[in-house]
Amino acid sequence: MTDTLAADRAVVAACGPAALRVTGATGERERDWRLVHHLARRLADEQVVGVLGSIPTYESVLVEIDPAATDLQRVRTETERLIAAIDLDEPLSCAPRHFSVPVVYGGDSGPDLGRVAEITGLHTEDVIALHTEPLYTVRCLGAPGGSPMLDGPAFPVPVPRLASPRTNVPAGAVSVAGRQATITPARAPGGWCVIGWTPLAVMDLAEEPPVPYRPGDTLSFHRIDEATASRLAGARLQAGEAAQP
Amino acid sequence: MLVVDRAAVAVVTDLGRTRGPALGLPVNGALDQYSARVANILVANDERDALIEVTAYDFAFTADSDLLIAVTGAPMSVFVDDVEHGMWEPVSVRAGQQVLLQEMRVGLRTYVAVHGSFDVPLLLGSCAPDTVVGFGTVLHDGSTVPVRSAVRPLVNPYFDMSLFNLGVLVPHFGGDVTIDVTDGPDADQFEGTAARLFHEPFEVSVASNHIGLRMTGSLPVRTSSAEVISRGVPVGAVEVPPGDELLVLHRGRGVTAGYPVLAVVTPLALDDLGQVRPGQRVRFRHKDVERADEDSRAWRARLDELRHRISTVYSCLGAGQLLRPTSGPTPEPSSVPTLEGIQ
Repeated sequence: MTDTLAADRAVVAACGPAALRVTGATGERERDWRLVHHLARRLADEQVVGVLGSIPTYESVLVEIDPAATDLQRVRTETERLIAAIDLDEPLSCAPRHFSVPVVYGGDSGPDLGRVAEITGLHTEDVIALHTEPLYTVRCLGAPGGSPMLDGPAFPVPVPRLASPRTNVPAGAVSVAGRQATITPARAPGGWCVIGWTPLAVMDLAEEPPVPYRPGDTLSFHRIDEATASRLAGARLQAGEAAQP
Repeated sequence: MLVVDRAAVAVVTDLGRTRGPALGLPVNGALDQYSARVANILVANDERDALIEVTAYDFAFTADSDLLIAVTGAPMSVFVDDVEHGMWEPVSVRAGQQVLLQEMRVGLRTYVAVHGSFDVPLLLGSCAPDTVVGFGTVLHDGSTVPVRSAVRPLVNPYFDMSLFNLGVLVPHFGGDVTIDVTDGPDADQFEGTAARLFHEPFEVSVASNHIGLRMTGSLPVRTSSAEVISRGVPVGAVEVPPGDELLVLHRGRGVTAGYPVLAVVTPLALDDLGQVRPGQRVRFRHKDVERADEDSRAWRARLDELRHRISTVYSCLGAGQLLRPTSGPTPEPSSVPTLEGIQ
Protein backbone atom coordinates (compact mmCIF):
# COMPACT_ATOMS: atom_id res chain seq x y z
CA MET A 1 0.00 0.00 0.00
CA THR A 2 2.55 2.51 1.12
CA ASP A 3 4.79 1.50 -1.75
CA THR A 4 2.07 2.38 -4.22
CA LEU A 5 1.66 5.79 -2.64
CA ALA A 6 5.42 6.31 -2.66
CA ALA A 7 5.59 5.30 -6.34
CA ASP A 8 2.94 7.89 -7.17
CA ARG A 9 4.95 10.55 -5.45
CA ALA A 10 8.54 9.85 -6.39
CA VAL A 11 10.92 7.78 -8.48
CA VAL A 12 13.53 6.04 -6.34
CA ALA A 13 16.57 4.87 -8.31
CA ALA A 14 20.09 3.69 -7.51
CA CYS A 15 22.76 6.31 -8.13
CA GLY A 16 25.78 4.07 -8.02
CA PRO A 17 26.51 1.55 -5.25
CA ALA A 18 26.28 3.98 -2.34
CA ALA A 19 23.41 6.36 -3.08
CA LEU A 20 19.76 6.59 -4.08
CA ARG A 21 18.38 9.40 -6.20
CA VAL A 22 14.79 10.19 -5.24
CA THR A 23 13.05 12.39 -7.80
CA GLY A 24 9.68 13.97 -7.06
CA ALA A 25 6.87 12.84 -9.37
CA THR A 26 3.86 14.62 -7.90
CA GLY A 27 3.40 16.56 -11.12
CA GLU A 28 3.81 19.82 -9.25
CA ARG A 29 7.21 21.49 -8.75
CA GLU A 30 6.49 23.02 -5.36
CA ARG A 31 5.28 19.70 -3.98
CA ASP A 32 8.26 17.84 -5.42
CA TRP A 33 10.54 20.35 -3.74
CA ARG A 34 8.80 20.04 -0.37
CA LEU A 35 8.76 16.26 -0.70
CA VAL A 36 12.51 15.91 -1.18
CA HIS A 37 13.37 18.35 1.62
CA HIS A 38 10.94 16.77 4.08
CA LEU A 39 12.36 13.37 3.16
CA ALA A 40 15.92 14.57 3.82
CA ARG A 41 14.86 15.83 7.25
CA ARG A 42 13.02 12.62 8.16
CA LEU A 43 16.02 10.51 7.14
CA ALA A 44 18.20 12.62 9.43
CA ASP A 45 15.68 12.68 12.31
CA GLU A 46 15.08 8.94 12.28
CA GLN A 47 18.80 8.16 11.95
CA VAL A 48 18.09 5.36 9.51
CA VAL A 49 20.87 2.76 9.87
CA GLY A 50 23.59 3.11 7.25
CA VAL A 51 22.32 6.44 5.88
CA LEU A 52 25.24 8.87 5.93
CA GLY A 53 23.28 11.92 4.86
CA SER A 54 21.35 13.40 1.99
CA ILE A 55 21.56 16.23 -0.50
CA PRO A 56 18.11 17.66 -1.25
CA THR A 57 17.96 20.06 -4.22
CA TYR A 58 15.11 21.36 -6.43
CA GLU A 59 13.15 18.26 -7.28
CA SER A 60 15.40 15.44 -6.19
CA VAL A 61 17.39 14.26 -3.22
CA LEU A 62 20.55 12.16 -3.21
CA VAL A 63 20.54 9.79 -0.23
CA GLU A 64 24.06 8.62 0.57
CA ILE A 65 24.58 5.30 2.33
CA ASP A 66 27.43 3.27 3.78
CA PRO A 67 27.26 0.00 1.81
CA ALA A 68 29.33 -1.74 4.49
CA ALA A 69 26.53 -1.13 7.01
CA THR A 70 23.38 -1.56 4.93
CA ASP A 71 22.29 -2.07 1.35
CA LEU A 72 20.38 0.01 -1.15
CA GLN A 73 17.32 -2.23 -1.08
CA ARG A 74 16.89 -1.83 2.66
CA VAL A 75 17.31 1.94 2.50
CA ARG A 76 14.97 2.04 -0.48
CA THR A 77 12.22 0.31 1.51
CA GLU A 78 12.73 2.66 4.43
CA THR A 79 12.78 5.67 2.11
CA GLU A 80 9.52 4.64 0.44
CA ARG A 81 7.88 4.25 3.83
CA LEU A 82 8.93 7.80 4.75
CA ILE A 83 7.85 9.21 1.40
CA ALA A 84 4.36 7.79 1.84
CA ALA A 85 4.03 9.47 5.24
CA ILE A 86 5.01 12.99 4.14
CA ASP A 87 2.42 15.78 4.10
CA LEU A 88 3.15 17.39 0.73
CA ASP A 89 1.53 20.67 1.71
CA GLU A 90 3.43 21.17 4.95
CA PRO A 91 5.67 24.23 4.50
CA LEU A 92 9.42 23.74 4.96
CA SER A 93 9.57 26.54 7.45
CA CYS A 94 6.83 28.09 9.61
CA ALA A 95 8.77 31.34 9.85
CA PRO A 96 10.88 31.85 6.74
CA ARG A 97 13.51 34.57 7.14
CA HIS A 98 14.36 37.09 4.44
CA PHE A 99 17.78 38.07 3.09
CA SER A 100 18.26 41.24 1.07
CA VAL A 101 21.39 41.11 -1.09
CA PRO A 102 23.03 44.28 -2.47
CA VAL A 103 24.60 43.73 -5.91
CA VAL A 104 26.94 45.68 -8.18
CA TYR A 105 25.86 44.68 -11.71
CA GLY A 106 28.03 44.49 -14.84
CA GLY A 107 31.55 45.72 -15.44
CA ASP A 108 34.30 43.77 -13.68
CA SER A 109 31.77 42.72 -11.06
CA GLY A 110 29.51 41.06 -13.64
CA PRO A 111 31.59 40.15 -16.70
CA ASP A 112 28.82 38.07 -18.32
CA LEU A 113 26.01 40.64 -18.04
CA GLY A 114 26.43 41.56 -21.73
CA ARG A 115 26.45 37.92 -22.77
CA VAL A 116 23.23 37.22 -20.87
CA ALA A 117 21.63 40.29 -22.51
CA GLU A 118 22.67 39.00 -25.92
CA ILE A 119 21.38 35.47 -25.31
CA THR A 120 18.06 36.67 -23.92
CA GLY A 121 17.67 39.46 -26.47
CA LEU A 122 17.24 42.01 -23.68
CA HIS A 123 18.98 45.27 -22.78
CA THR A 124 21.38 44.90 -19.85
CA GLU A 125 19.09 47.19 -17.84
CA ASP A 126 16.20 44.79 -18.45
CA VAL A 127 18.34 41.84 -17.38
CA ILE A 128 19.06 43.68 -14.12
CA ALA A 129 15.39 44.61 -13.70
CA LEU A 130 14.30 40.99 -14.17
CA HIS A 131 16.97 39.81 -11.74
CA THR A 132 16.04 42.29 -9.00
CA GLU A 133 12.28 41.79 -9.41
CA PRO A 134 11.42 38.42 -7.79
CA LEU A 135 11.15 37.42 -4.17
CA TYR A 136 13.26 34.28 -4.49
CA THR A 137 12.88 31.16 -2.37
CA VAL A 138 16.10 29.44 -1.28
CA ARG A 139 15.50 26.04 -2.88
CA CYS A 140 18.58 24.29 -1.49
CA LEU A 141 22.19 24.73 -0.48
CA GLY A 142 24.59 23.76 -3.24
CA ALA A 143 28.15 23.84 -4.46
CA PRO A 144 30.36 25.66 -3.87
CA GLY A 145 30.27 26.27 -0.14
CA GLY A 146 26.53 26.19 0.51
CA SER A 147 25.42 28.51 -2.31
CA PRO A 148 21.75 29.56 -2.06
CA MET A 149 20.23 27.84 -5.08
CA LEU A 150 17.29 29.84 -6.51
CA ASP A 151 14.84 29.65 -9.37
CA GLY A 152 16.20 31.87 -12.13
CA PRO A 153 14.70 35.23 -13.15
CA ALA A 154 11.93 35.24 -15.78
CA PHE A 155 14.27 35.49 -18.77
CA PRO A 156 12.62 34.62 -22.11
CA VAL A 157 15.07 31.72 -22.67
CA PRO A 158 17.31 29.63 -20.39
CA VAL A 159 20.91 30.85 -20.14
CA PRO A 160 23.44 28.17 -21.17
CA ARG A 161 26.47 27.53 -18.95
CA LEU A 162 29.81 28.85 -20.26
CA ALA A 163 31.40 26.52 -22.80
CA SER A 164 34.64 26.59 -20.82
CA PRO A 165 34.18 27.19 -17.10
CA ARG A 166 36.21 29.91 -15.35
CA THR A 167 38.95 28.57 -13.09
CA ASN A 168 38.32 31.28 -10.51
CA VAL A 169 34.99 32.86 -9.69
CA PRO A 170 35.32 35.20 -6.69
CA ALA A 171 33.32 34.88 -3.48
CA GLY A 172 30.17 36.98 -3.73
CA ALA A 173 29.65 36.36 -7.46
CA VAL A 174 25.98 36.64 -8.44
CA SER A 175 25.24 34.32 -11.34
CA VAL A 176 22.61 32.65 -13.49
CA ALA A 177 22.49 29.43 -15.54
CA GLY A 178 19.70 27.50 -17.17
CA ARG A 179 16.60 28.43 -15.18
CA GLN A 180 18.60 28.91 -11.99
CA ALA A 181 20.31 31.72 -10.07
CA THR A 182 22.71 31.81 -7.13
CA ILE A 183 25.38 33.61 -5.12
CA THR A 184 28.81 32.03 -4.68
CA PRO A 185 29.91 32.12 -1.00
CA ALA A 186 33.49 30.98 -1.74
CA ARG A 187 36.01 31.43 -4.52
CA ALA A 188 35.78 28.42 -6.83
CA PRO A 189 35.79 27.36 -10.47
CA GLY A 190 32.43 27.91 -12.15
CA GLY A 191 30.60 27.69 -15.44
CA TRP A 192 27.65 29.96 -14.64
CA CYS A 193 27.20 33.44 -16.13
CA VAL A 194 28.35 36.03 -13.59
CA ILE A 195 26.18 39.15 -13.88
CA GLY A 196 27.09 40.88 -10.61
CA TRP A 197 28.83 40.77 -7.26
CA THR A 198 27.80 41.34 -3.66
CA PRO A 199 30.28 42.90 -1.22
CA LEU A 200 28.66 41.05 1.71
CA ALA A 201 30.36 38.06 3.29
CA VAL A 202 27.91 35.23 2.69
CA MET A 203 29.83 32.59 4.62
CA ASP A 204 31.22 32.57 8.16
CA LEU A 205 33.16 29.43 9.10
CA ALA A 206 32.81 30.24 12.81
CA GLU A 207 29.04 29.76 12.49
CA GLU A 208 27.24 26.47 12.28
CA PRO A 209 26.01 26.09 9.62
CA PRO A 210 28.48 28.45 7.88
CA VAL A 211 25.82 30.11 5.69
CA PRO A 212 22.90 31.95 7.36
CA TYR A 213 19.98 30.92 5.11
CA ARG A 214 18.09 27.63 4.94
CA PRO A 215 15.94 26.07 2.26
CA GLY A 216 12.55 27.79 2.47
CA ASP A 217 13.94 31.22 3.41
CA THR A 218 13.49 34.07 0.95
CA LEU A 219 16.03 36.27 -0.78
CA SER A 220 15.98 39.33 -3.00
CA PHE A 221 18.59 41.36 -4.90
CA HIS A 222 18.86 45.15 -5.07
CA ARG A 223 21.22 47.27 -7.10
CA ILE A 224 23.98 49.33 -5.49
CA ASP A 225 26.85 51.43 -6.86
CA GLU A 226 30.60 50.94 -6.36
CA ALA A 227 30.75 53.51 -3.55
CA THR A 228 28.05 51.72 -1.55
CA ALA A 229 29.83 48.45 -2.27
CA SER A 230 33.09 49.65 -0.73
CA ARG A 231 31.18 50.88 2.30
CA LEU A 232 29.49 47.47 2.74
CA ALA A 233 32.58 45.39 1.94
CA GLY A 234 33.05 42.53 4.39
CA ALA A 235 29.77 43.08 6.30
CA ARG A 236 27.92 39.84 6.91
CA LEU A 237 24.79 38.76 5.11
CA GLN A 238 22.06 38.71 7.75
CA ALA A 239 18.35 38.08 7.85
CA GLY A 240 16.35 41.31 7.83
CA GLU A 241 12.88 42.66 7.21
CA ALA A 242 10.88 40.96 4.50
CA ALA A 243 11.29 42.79 1.22
CA GLN A 244 8.19 44.15 -0.48
CA PRO A 245 7.72 41.96 -3.51
CA MET B 1 52.91 18.39 20.69
CA LEU B 2 54.35 17.45 17.36
CA VAL B 3 56.64 19.81 15.43
CA VAL B 4 56.83 19.46 11.66
CA ASP B 5 60.44 19.56 10.45
CA ARG B 6 59.76 19.07 6.78
CA ALA B 7 56.53 19.18 4.78
CA ALA B 8 55.58 19.94 1.20
CA VAL B 9 51.98 18.78 0.82
CA ALA B 10 50.60 17.46 4.11
CA VAL B 11 47.40 18.06 6.06
CA VAL B 12 45.58 16.86 9.14
CA THR B 13 42.41 15.09 8.04
CA ASP B 14 39.90 12.41 9.03
CA LEU B 15 37.29 10.24 7.32
CA GLY B 16 35.33 13.30 6.19
CA ARG B 17 32.60 15.79 6.94
CA THR B 18 29.48 13.65 6.82
CA ARG B 19 27.29 16.57 7.88
CA GLY B 20 28.66 18.70 5.03
CA PRO B 21 26.82 17.52 1.92
CA ALA B 22 23.33 18.42 3.21
CA LEU B 23 24.66 21.97 3.75
CA GLY B 24 26.40 22.28 0.40
CA LEU B 25 29.89 21.30 1.58
CA PRO B 26 31.69 18.26 0.14
CA VAL B 27 32.54 15.35 2.43
CA ASN B 28 36.30 15.58 1.78
CA GLY B 29 38.57 13.61 4.15
CA ALA B 30 41.21 10.95 3.52
CA LEU B 31 41.32 10.03 -0.16
CA ASP B 32 42.41 6.48 0.68
CA GLN B 33 39.94 5.63 3.43
CA TYR B 34 41.21 2.07 3.90
CA SER B 35 44.77 3.17 4.63
CA ALA B 36 43.55 5.93 6.93
CA ARG B 37 41.30 3.55 8.88
CA VAL B 38 44.04 0.94 9.21
CA ALA B 39 46.53 3.54 10.50
CA ASN B 40 44.11 4.57 13.26
CA ILE B 41 43.23 0.95 14.11
CA LEU B 42 46.92 0.06 14.45
CA VAL B 43 47.39 2.69 17.17
CA ALA B 44 44.08 1.82 18.89
CA ASN B 45 42.38 5.04 17.84
CA ASP B 46 38.80 5.48 16.73
CA GLU B 47 38.79 5.10 12.93
CA ARG B 48 37.33 8.60 12.67
CA ASP B 49 40.20 10.25 14.55
CA ALA B 50 42.31 12.96 12.96
CA LEU B 51 45.53 11.82 11.30
CA ILE B 52 48.14 13.19 8.90
CA GLU B 53 47.82 12.76 5.14
CA VAL B 54 51.14 13.18 3.33
CA THR B 55 50.94 13.68 -0.43
CA ALA B 56 53.83 12.76 -2.77
CA TYR B 57 56.77 14.41 -0.94
CA ASP B 58 59.02 13.70 2.05
CA PHE B 59 57.70 14.52 5.51
CA ALA B 60 59.42 14.72 8.91
CA PHE B 61 58.40 15.60 12.44
CA THR B 62 59.66 15.50 16.01
CA ALA B 63 57.52 15.07 19.09
CA ASP B 64 58.13 16.39 22.59
CA SER B 65 56.53 13.31 24.15
CA ASP B 66 56.63 9.56 23.57
CA LEU B 67 54.31 8.48 20.78
CA LEU B 68 52.81 5.36 19.32
CA ILE B 69 52.45 5.85 15.56
CA ALA B 70 51.54 3.86 12.45
CA VAL B 71 52.33 4.70 8.84
CA THR B 72 50.13 3.32 6.02
CA GLY B 73 49.22 4.12 2.42
CA ALA B 74 51.66 4.76 -0.43
CA PRO B 75 55.03 3.07 0.25
CA MET B 76 57.73 5.33 1.76
CA SER B 77 60.88 4.64 3.75
CA VAL B 78 60.15 5.30 7.41
CA PHE B 79 62.99 6.26 9.75
CA VAL B 80 62.86 6.97 13.47
CA ASP B 81 66.13 8.83 13.94
CA ASP B 82 68.36 6.60 11.83
CA VAL B 83 66.58 3.30 12.34
CA GLU B 84 64.33 2.13 9.53
CA HIS B 85 60.88 0.82 10.47
CA GLY B 86 58.10 -0.91 8.59
CA MET B 87 54.82 0.54 7.45
CA TRP B 88 51.44 -1.02 8.32
CA GLU B 89 52.53 -1.74 11.91
CA PRO B 90 52.64 0.22 15.17
CA VAL B 91 55.95 1.95 15.90
CA SER B 92 57.02 3.36 19.25
CA VAL B 93 58.75 6.75 19.11
CA ARG B 94 60.48 8.41 22.06
CA ALA B 95 60.30 12.07 22.87
CA GLY B 96 62.85 14.02 20.84
CA GLN B 97 63.26 11.40 18.12
CA GLN B 98 62.64 12.45 14.55
CA VAL B 99 60.25 10.54 12.32
CA LEU B 100 61.19 10.83 8.65
CA LEU B 101 59.09 9.61 5.72
CA GLN B 102 61.09 9.50 2.53
CA GLU B 103 60.94 8.71 -1.15
CA MET B 104 57.40 7.90 -2.14
CA ARG B 105 57.93 6.06 -5.40
CA VAL B 106 54.47 4.75 -6.20
CA GLY B 107 51.06 5.74 -4.96
CA LEU B 108 50.31 9.30 -3.89
CA ARG B 109 49.16 9.48 -0.27
CA THR B 110 50.67 8.16 2.96
CA TYR B 111 48.97 8.31 6.37
CA VAL B 112 50.48 8.83 9.82
CA ALA B 113 48.24 8.09 12.79
CA VAL B 114 49.33 8.92 16.34
CA HIS B 115 47.77 7.24 19.36
CA GLY B 116 45.45 9.75 21.05
CA SER B 117 45.15 11.75 17.82
CA PHE B 118 45.37 15.54 17.55
CA ASP B 119 43.56 18.61 18.83
CA VAL B 120 42.73 20.54 15.69
CA PRO B 121 39.89 22.88 14.68
CA LEU B 122 36.68 21.27 13.45
CA LEU B 123 34.09 22.44 10.96
CA LEU B 124 30.74 20.65 11.29
CA GLY B 125 32.42 18.00 13.42
CA SER B 126 35.30 17.22 11.06
CA CYS B 127 38.87 18.49 10.69
CA ALA B 128 39.02 17.48 7.01
CA PRO B 129 40.40 20.36 4.95
CA ASP B 130 38.01 22.05 2.53
CA THR B 131 40.09 23.96 0.00
CA VAL B 132 37.04 25.70 -1.47
CA VAL B 133 35.90 27.38 1.73
CA GLY B 134 39.48 27.69 3.00
CA PHE B 135 39.25 25.47 6.07
CA GLY B 136 41.78 23.00 7.43
CA THR B 137 45.07 22.33 9.17
CA VAL B 138 47.74 22.47 6.49
CA LEU B 139 51.24 21.49 7.63
CA HIS B 140 54.38 23.44 6.75
CA ASP B 141 57.94 23.43 8.05
CA GLY B 142 57.66 24.54 11.67
CA SER B 143 53.92 23.81 12.07
CA THR B 144 52.94 22.42 15.46
CA VAL B 145 50.11 19.97 16.06
CA PRO B 146 48.87 19.37 19.61
CA VAL B 147 48.74 15.65 20.43
CA ARG B 148 45.99 14.61 22.83
CA SER B 149 47.90 12.90 25.61
CA ALA B 150 45.02 11.04 27.16
CA VAL B 151 47.20 8.08 28.18
CA ARG B 152 50.61 8.03 29.79
CA PRO B 153 53.48 8.07 27.31
CA LEU B 154 54.28 4.62 26.14
CA VAL B 155 57.84 3.36 26.37
CA ASN B 156 58.07 -0.37 26.33
CA PRO B 157 61.00 -2.38 25.01
CA TYR B 158 58.66 -5.17 23.94
CA PHE B 159 56.82 -2.92 21.56
CA ASP B 160 58.56 -4.22 18.51
CA MET B 161 55.43 -5.16 16.68
CA SER B 162 57.34 -6.81 13.86
CA LEU B 163 57.28 -9.81 16.19
CA PHE B 164 53.57 -10.14 15.57
CA ASN B 165 51.87 -11.14 12.41
CA LEU B 166 49.07 -8.60 12.31
CA GLY B 167 47.91 -9.87 8.96
CA VAL B 168 47.20 -6.41 7.60
CA LEU B 169 46.06 -6.55 4.02
CA VAL B 170 48.35 -4.14 2.18
CA PRO B 171 46.90 -2.81 -1.09
CA HIS B 172 48.89 -2.84 -4.29
CA PHE B 173 50.22 0.54 -5.39
CA GLY B 174 51.42 1.71 -8.82
CA GLY B 175 51.14 0.21 -12.30
CA ASP B 176 47.96 0.02 -14.33
CA VAL B 177 44.89 0.22 -12.12
CA THR B 178 41.52 -1.46 -12.58
CA ILE B 179 38.64 0.62 -11.26
CA ASP B 180 35.23 -0.94 -10.61
CA VAL B 181 32.19 1.13 -11.52
CA THR B 182 28.47 0.46 -11.35
CA ASP B 183 25.88 1.84 -13.76
CA GLY B 184 25.19 5.53 -13.40
CA PRO B 185 21.62 6.84 -13.28
CA ASP B 186 22.00 8.78 -16.54
CA ALA B 187 23.84 6.20 -18.68
CA ASP B 188 20.99 6.38 -21.22
CA GLN B 189 22.12 9.91 -22.07
CA PHE B 190 25.24 8.42 -23.66
CA GLU B 191 23.41 5.99 -25.88
CA GLY B 192 25.66 4.05 -28.23
CA THR B 193 28.93 5.32 -26.74
CA ALA B 194 28.59 4.53 -23.02
CA ALA B 195 30.57 1.28 -23.46
CA ARG B 196 33.65 3.27 -24.55
CA LEU B 197 34.34 3.66 -20.85
CA PHE B 198 35.35 0.00 -20.78
CA HIS B 199 37.12 -0.43 -24.12
CA GLU B 200 40.46 1.29 -23.67
CA PRO B 201 42.39 2.46 -20.61
CA PHE B 202 42.31 6.15 -19.69
CA GLU B 203 45.36 8.18 -18.71
CA VAL B 204 45.20 10.33 -15.57
CA SER B 205 46.01 13.97 -16.38
CA VAL B 206 47.97 16.46 -14.26
CA ALA B 207 44.82 18.49 -13.69
CA SER B 208 43.67 15.91 -11.13
CA ASN B 209 43.21 16.52 -7.41
CA HIS B 210 40.99 15.71 -4.42
CA ILE B 211 38.00 17.28 -6.16
CA GLY B 212 38.21 15.08 -9.20
CA LEU B 213 40.49 13.13 -11.51
CA ARG B 214 40.64 14.15 -15.16
CA MET B 215 41.50 11.47 -17.67
CA THR B 216 42.14 11.35 -21.39
CA GLY B 217 41.00 8.53 -23.64
CA SER B 218 38.16 7.55 -25.92
CA LEU B 219 35.29 9.57 -24.49
CA PRO B 220 31.64 8.56 -24.41
CA VAL B 221 29.51 11.23 -26.06
CA ARG B 222 26.50 12.79 -24.44
CA THR B 223 23.54 12.56 -26.79
CA SER B 224 21.15 14.91 -25.02
CA SER B 225 22.05 18.56 -24.60
CA ALA B 226 19.22 19.60 -22.31
CA GLU B 227 20.23 21.85 -19.41
CA VAL B 228 19.92 19.67 -16.31
CA ILE B 229 18.81 21.36 -13.11
CA SER B 230 21.37 21.14 -10.28
CA ARG B 231 21.11 18.00 -8.19
CA GLY B 232 23.18 15.98 -5.78
CA VAL B 233 26.05 14.03 -7.30
CA PRO B 234 27.73 11.12 -5.49
CA VAL B 235 31.45 10.85 -4.84
CA GLY B 236 32.75 8.61 -7.61
CA ALA B 237 30.46 10.02 -10.31
CA VAL B 238 31.91 9.63 -13.81
CA GLU B 239 30.96 12.60 -16.00
CA VAL B 240 31.81 13.89 -19.45
CA PRO B 241 31.97 17.69 -19.13
CA PRO B 242 32.62 19.95 -22.15
CA GLY B 243 36.22 19.54 -23.30
CA ASP B 244 38.29 16.48 -24.07
CA GLU B 245 38.60 14.79 -20.70
CA LEU B 246 36.65 12.35 -18.59
CA LEU B 247 35.96 13.60 -15.05
CA VAL B 248 35.75 11.26 -12.06
CA LEU B 249 34.61 13.09 -8.94
CA HIS B 250 36.36 12.36 -5.65
CA ARG B 251 35.68 13.36 -2.04
CA GLY B 252 36.22 17.11 -2.58
CA ARG B 253 33.55 17.28 -5.29
CA GLY B 254 30.96 20.04 -5.31
CA VAL B 255 27.84 18.35 -3.93
CA THR B 256 25.52 19.61 -6.66
CA ALA B 257 26.04 19.71 -10.41
CA GLY B 258 24.11 19.66 -13.63
CA TYR B 259 25.99 17.05 -15.64
CA PRO B 260 24.59 13.55 -16.30
CA VAL B 261 26.24 10.72 -14.36
CA LEU B 262 27.45 7.96 -16.69
CA ALA B 263 28.81 5.55 -14.05
CA VAL B 264 29.79 5.58 -10.38
CA VAL B 265 33.07 4.29 -8.95
CA THR B 266 32.64 1.80 -6.08
CA PRO B 267 33.73 2.88 -2.58
CA LEU B 268 36.69 0.49 -2.56
CA ALA B 269 37.90 1.59 -5.97
CA LEU B 270 37.78 5.23 -4.80
CA ASP B 271 40.64 4.37 -2.45
CA ASP B 272 42.66 3.15 -5.44
CA LEU B 273 41.88 6.40 -7.28
CA GLY B 274 43.13 8.28 -4.23
CA GLN B 275 46.53 6.69 -4.88
CA VAL B 276 46.93 7.13 -8.66
CA ARG B 277 49.38 9.62 -10.11
CA PRO B 278 49.16 11.72 -13.25
CA GLY B 279 50.34 9.61 -16.18
CA GLN B 280 49.10 6.35 -14.67
CA ARG B 281 46.63 4.33 -16.71
CA VAL B 282 43.22 3.40 -15.44
CA ARG B 283 40.98 0.69 -16.85
CA PHE B 284 37.31 0.76 -15.84
CA ARG B 285 35.49 -2.49 -15.13
CA HIS B 286 31.73 -2.89 -14.78
CA LYS B 287 30.40 -4.29 -11.54
CA ASP B 288 26.88 -5.04 -10.26
CA VAL B 289 25.72 -3.15 -7.19
CA GLU B 290 25.26 -6.49 -5.38
CA ARG B 291 28.88 -7.49 -5.98
CA ALA B 292 30.08 -4.04 -4.93
CA ASP B 293 28.06 -4.44 -1.71
CA GLU B 294 29.68 -7.81 -1.02
CA ASP B 295 33.10 -6.20 -1.48
CA SER B 296 32.19 -3.42 0.96
CA ARG B 297 31.04 -5.88 3.60
CA ALA B 298 34.16 -8.03 3.20
CA TRP B 299 36.23 -4.84 3.54
CA ARG B 300 34.40 -3.93 6.74
CA ALA B 301 34.91 -7.45 8.13
CA ARG B 302 38.65 -7.24 7.43
CA LEU B 303 38.92 -3.98 9.34
CA ASP B 304 36.93 -5.38 12.26
CA GLU B 305 39.19 -8.46 12.38
CA LEU B 306 42.26 -6.27 12.40
CA ARG B 307 40.89 -4.23 15.28
CA HIS B 308 40.24 -7.44 17.16
CA ARG B 309 43.79 -8.72 16.58
CA ILE B 310 45.28 -5.39 17.60
CA SER B 311 43.30 -5.38 20.79
CA THR B 312 44.55 -8.91 21.58
CA VAL B 313 48.15 -7.91 20.90
CA TYR B 314 47.98 -4.81 23.11
CA SER B 315 46.33 -6.77 25.91
CA CYS B 316 49.02 -9.49 25.72
CA LEU B 317 51.73 -6.85 25.93
CA GLY B 318 50.20 -5.40 29.05
CA ALA B 319 49.31 -2.21 27.20
CA GLY B 320 45.59 -2.60 27.75
CA GLN B 321 45.37 1.05 28.81
CA LEU B 322 45.75 1.94 25.12
CA LEU B 323 42.48 0.25 24.37
CA ARG B 324 40.36 2.33 26.72
CA PRO B 325 38.45 4.94 24.79
CA THR B 326 40.10 8.31 25.34
CA SER B 327 38.49 11.64 24.55
CA GLY B 328 37.42 10.46 21.14
CA PRO B 329 35.91 12.57 18.40
CA THR B 330 32.41 13.92 18.88
CA PRO B 331 30.25 11.21 17.36
CA GLU B 332 28.35 12.48 14.37
CA PRO B 333 24.71 11.58 13.96
CA SER B 334 24.19 8.84 11.41
CA SER B 335 27.87 8.63 10.62
CA VAL B 336 29.86 5.45 10.18
CA PRO B 337 28.69 2.56 12.35
CA THR B 338 30.35 2.15 15.73
CA LEU B 339 32.95 -0.56 15.68
CA GLU B 340 33.20 -3.38 18.08
CA GLY B 341 36.36 -4.99 19.38
CA ILE B 342 37.56 -2.35 21.83
CA GLN B 343 36.23 -2.43 25.33
